[in-house]
Amino acid sequence: MTPTRSSQVLVAEDLARRGQLPAAVAACYEALAVNDRDAFVHALLGHLMLEGDFYDEAIAASTQAIELDPDCSPAYLALGLAYDRRGGMWDQSVLVWHELAEVVPDLVTAHVQLGEAFAAAAFEEEAVDSWKRALELDPKEARAHYNLAIAALKREGMSTALPTIRRAGELDPSQDELFFSLLGLPAERLEFDVAKVKPEAEARLFAAGMLLRAEDFFGASDLVRLVLDENPADAGALALAAYAYLKQEAANEAMACALRALTYSAELPTALYTLGVVYSRFPGLAKHAARVFIALAKAAPQHSLTHVLLAESLLGLQRYGQAKQAYRAAVRLDPACVRARFGLAAVRLTEGGYAEAQWEMRRAAYYDTRRQGNFWRLYDAYAEGGDV
Amino acid sequence: MAQKKSGGKKPTAKKSAARKPAAVAPVEHVPMRNPDFPVGVDYYPLDEERRSWSDWYDRDPEPDFAAMAASRVSDVRVFVSWRCLETQVGQYDEDALERLERIVEAARAHDLKLVVCFFADDRLAEMNEVPWGKRRDSRTDDYLIQRELSLVQKIVNRYRAEPVIKAWDLGNEAFCSGFETEAALEKWVTELREAIREVDPERPVLLGVDPETLLRETGVDPRGAIDLCERAWSHLTAPYRAYIAEGPVTSGPATYTDSFLLRAALRDLPVVVDGIGVHALEFSAAEEAAYVRTALYSALMNRASGAMLRRWRDLETEKREPYFRDPFEVLVGVVDVTGAPKPVLAEVKRFAAVAARLDPRRYALAPERAAVVIPAERYESLPSLAGLFDPRACLQAYIAAKEAHVPVTVAREGDELGGYHALYLPSPGKLTPSMWADLSAFVQGGGSVVLSYGGGDVDPALREIFGVEFNGDGGPRHTFACRVAQPGVLGDLRSFDARMDLPHFGLVTASGAMVVATDATGSPLLTVNQYGQGKAVFIATPVERAIAQNDPWATPTPVRHLLRTVYGTVASAAGAGAMLECDMPEAELAHFLGEDDDILLILSHNAEKTTATITTPRTVATVQDVRGGAPAEVGGKTFGVPLGPNGVAALRVKFG
Repeated sequence: MTPTRSSQVLVAEDLARRGQLPAAVAACYEALAVNDRDAFVHALLGHLMLEGDFYDEAIAASTQAIELDPDCSPAYLALGLAYDRRGGMWDQSVLVWHELAEVVPDLVTAHVQLGEAFAAAAFEEEAVDSWKRALELDPKEARAHYNLAIAALKREGMSTALPTIRRAGELDPSQDELFFSLLGLPAERLEFDVAKVKPEAEARLFAAGMLLRAEDFFGASDLVRLVLDENPADAGALALAAYAYLKQEAANEAMACALRALTYSAELPTALYTLGVVYSRFPGLAKHAARVFIALAKAAPQHSLTHVLLAESLLGLQRYGQAKQAYRAAVRLDPACVRARFGLAAVRLTEGGYAEAQWEMRRAAYYDTRRQGNFWRLYDAYAEGGDV
Repeated sequence: MAQKKSGGKKPTAKKSAARKPAAVAPVEHVPMRNPDFPVGVDYYPLDEERRSWSDWYDRDPEPDFAAMAASRVSDVRVFVSWRCLETQVGQYDEDALERLERIVEAARAHDLKLVVCFFADDRLAEMNEVPWGKRRDSRTDDYLIQRELSLVQKIVNRYRAEPVIKAWDLGNEAFCSGFETEAALEKWVTELREAIREVDPERPVLLGVDPETLLRETGVDPRGAIDLCERAWSHLTAPYRAYIAEGPVTSGPATYTDSFLLRAALRDLPVVVDGIGVHALEFSAAEEAAYVRTALYSALMNRASGAMLRRWRDLETEKREPYFRDPFEVLVGVVDVTGAPKPVLAEVKRFAAVAARLDPRRYALAPERAAVVIPAERYESLPSLAGLFDPRACLQAYIAAKEAHVPVTVAREGDELGGYHALYLPSPGKLTPSMWADLSAFVQGGGSVVLSYGGGDVDPALREIFGVEFNGDGGPRHTFACRVAQPGVLGDLRSFDARMDLPHFGLVTASGAMVVATDATGSPLLTVNQYGQGKAVFIATPVERAIAQNDPWATPTPVRHLLRTVYGTVASAAGAGAMLECDMPEAELAHFLGEDDDILLILSHNAEKTTATITTPRTVATVQDVRGGAPAEVGGKTFGVPLGPNGVAALRVKFG
């Protein structure tokens, strides 16, 4: 049977969806005054308290929701997240995530969080199993990769962890976005007709960039070729060509194009990016990668990911102190950067800073789970009375 | 050790000593401990989880007390087990009394003082679960309270002439968290205190609860009950830490929480900082030591009357599957389960050696003329979120003031404001009409106020005091933009755009105030108004709350710089600013003024190695570690102090 929501709940829900925390909390209390046994209101309240980082309150409200309706999946999510963000309640957290993973088996976050709760409670094997399960559901789940890397680091050291960190980096979609951001493309995707692109180098390169972002490598190559036919020394076009080769796993060609671009424009960020990424794929070229990424971080210091790339190359050289500085620069620019947080955690672990490492991983989870917005997905499904 | 900063070369104390032998100084008798700042430790009855309630202090305390004395610990808090002592109604167990006696004898033998806590819950020893109590609430049931009074009087009577007993603690916070109303708590405290006073009119009575953490935990405001006693305690609990400043304990806001709670607890009674130590097992030994060092020095630097460590010995937990770590139990001590000292104990000893040099008859801490004001709305319960937002905002304001090196304390709305020159009101949603009247009188009389907009409507007095016309709440923003319109008026402010969620932005127009900075669209962000003899500074957004509710560990640098610059400049102009300048915001300074020399404590809230450069208004002749060593000649107004990770420097500074 589909659970019904009162008008007071709908008001609170609307305010909550719009992020109006105080008003939504007040509306929840008004709804509770009418019916204090409404699981929806308690679940909403749990979510709102979680949004305000008031974990004890979130735990109380979510627990109440679950007591009222043991099938209230959004309340499990809010409860588990509240336990994890609050810290020090790993045993309760394990139980909640375990329950949620059973109720909503395809909820990747539940498995990742379950793994983190296991790890915090020193059950490493169970933790690894949970992250592997998450990767079965979503092979690109970054936090599962990074957690596996950290687990490897704890067991066998940085050399074992590095390949996993690199693999997670390669799967990171924001790295491609960095390239397009360095290229100066707008964040939104624009529809355009290739045939109507102006016969000017700038317009063609812009269009080529848009096509590359849409993974239309042939269309992009045609436009780049037109630019290079007119000016073989166009560094921007060469950098685009390098990137196109990189995306098609043609590392040598990518390297050649990027190097050529840099002979014409030594600080061109797009060329530096592509060259650095190519170098970083070859462990023997780690030193070169670090040099290139130093130049990139100087050329584009406002992008957190340029510092992350630098830090990861420094990890390969075992320059942990410098890597830490670079990771910290990245976190300062973007506190929500999961990749930087986990990298920083890895460095802190090698230095013996366990609590800080643990904190960085918790912060990564904090931002990642906030970004995902799973609560509303579960809430809507629960409201409809169906499966997620 | 201090380094001279000016003149190119930076001689260290050791180098200068090598160059020029120090003059032979008269041998100064240095006490082992500071009786005015005792360091104590909680000595729990059970150290192994497998033990039962009947094993209450069923061990020889002698070796532990000997180790405590050797570590310069002065005070020990012990916990009475009602269950063990009064096995049947009115019948006291001689064996249990003998165990208590053994503790008293051991304390006597090692010159330790005991704080006896009557009603405590350590979640292991079941100290208050008298089987004949029939599960009635020992906090409110009249019959059980009568039995409690008898127990208390029996023990107090037994030791009323015993000099080893330093104070009587009525109950710890875990026990007191069972009270549901202020009235019940105050009644209980009154009755127990009177029972003690009938027998022992001398020794202080205290209630081992923190006014802020207990309020947060239970909604019961214990200030009235605390005021019935002669001593107050402050401590940070694990749930409160998770609420106010979760995160690593060796850097960032977490390193200020102990002193913030201490300042909040400091009213009329001397306050001991209790429960110093980490709350969970996830920290390395070095992190534990760094945290304890920070907390101990924070206590000394912020007018505590002593410090108590969380636990003497690690609790040996059972390795039961599947989960064997329970953070709510008091697990982590200063020696491990075998009794071997952990690095933290060496920190305690070093700290006690420094504290012993700080004779309060010779040195007085520079007075605090600035205060962060906790709004009265903080005591509102849900659905008002003020009770949740305000403590966090106040902590951030406190940190900003500390980063500006302003000697700062914590006051509450309704407190007497006459002793202050500068007040910070961080993001209050509303203030009471009487507070507005107090603020008006305060500023007119020459005080300075910084108020940040907290959302919603504002009182009409804003226009009068702050010289701004309020046009409504502009709502949330995702970017904090600052454009400096009047450079230099409120310090070295810089224009910036920072990615940060702001919950509100007050749309104001200046009606007499000077606009010092605006947002990107020209709407006033920062105004200053001369009102009477004083100044009123208005920040149009709840910046302290925004710092707290975003990521306090990743606050954009320009935002922190803005806040501490405004706080520091306002305090300096009002005569409440720092007496010394320091280039390192994370270095907390405490300046103890003496007749012949001063003592300067510098505490780094940074987990990295660093050097703080101190600038004084007068020429410094020499700087010397308070624990001894040769003085380093400075001969200038600036000198550098190298600080290790979470490091401390305790310097004797002679001016000349």
